[in-house]
Amino acid sequence: MGTNYLTAGPVSQKLISQLIKKMGSKTNSGGHSIFFGQVRADEIDGKKVKAIEYSAYEELVNAEAEMIKRTILSEFSDVKSIDIIHSTGVVKAGEISLLVFVSAGHRHQAMQACSETVELIKDNLPVWKKEIFEDDSFKWK
Amino acid sequence: MEVKVLFFGVLSEISGTSVKHYRDVKSISDLKLRIYDDFPEIVHYNYRISINSEITDNDLLLKSGDEVAFMPPFAGG
Repeated sequence: MGTNYLTAGPVSQKLISQLIKKMGSKTNSGGHSIFFGQVRADEIDGKKVKAIEYSAYEELVNAEAEMIKRTILSEFSDVKSIDIIHSTGVVKAGEISLLVFVSAGHRHQAMQACSETVELIKDNLPVWKKEIFEDDSFKWK
Repeated sequence: MEVKVLFFGVLSEISGTSVKHYRDVKSISDLKLRIYDDFPEIVHYNYRISINSEITDNDLLLKSGDEVAFMPPFAGG
């Protein structure tokens, strides 16, 4: 099943630069807001997180991501486009696991809509994560 | 009749699989009882259910070929 919203492993610099390149063709936009979610090397009970392994329900990710985009577009009339990319599989500490890219006519809606998109992703995207520690033990989150 | 059950997140670890097929289950509540029989620990976890990629809180009837997902709280980002 193909999806426009998931990528295997970390969100790559190539994907990021492709999106940034695309900005130039969006001449109806005056502001772009980008959010990067990064894997944090938390320390839990004396053990350090070295990576997070993400899993997702792909079909439902597609449906929910479409719903999130519709919700944001109906709430923010100045928003022109929304890109969402979430990782599946292993993403090491310091690597990017989520990218949200919102383009709007003006800065305020770009920033507000980007922030709200991230919140909706946290609440609604069917993605799960397992924290993997340096000793290879793990914990579901 | 047969339905396909998907387990996600910690539930896939408890069940030891991400996919399992169940025969002759009439409804969601019927299916839950069968799953609790097989994997009693699941009863202690919070989860949501979707049928054919649609989340539901209702005890719906199932038909052959349905895909039912058991999903713990989402943790993306």
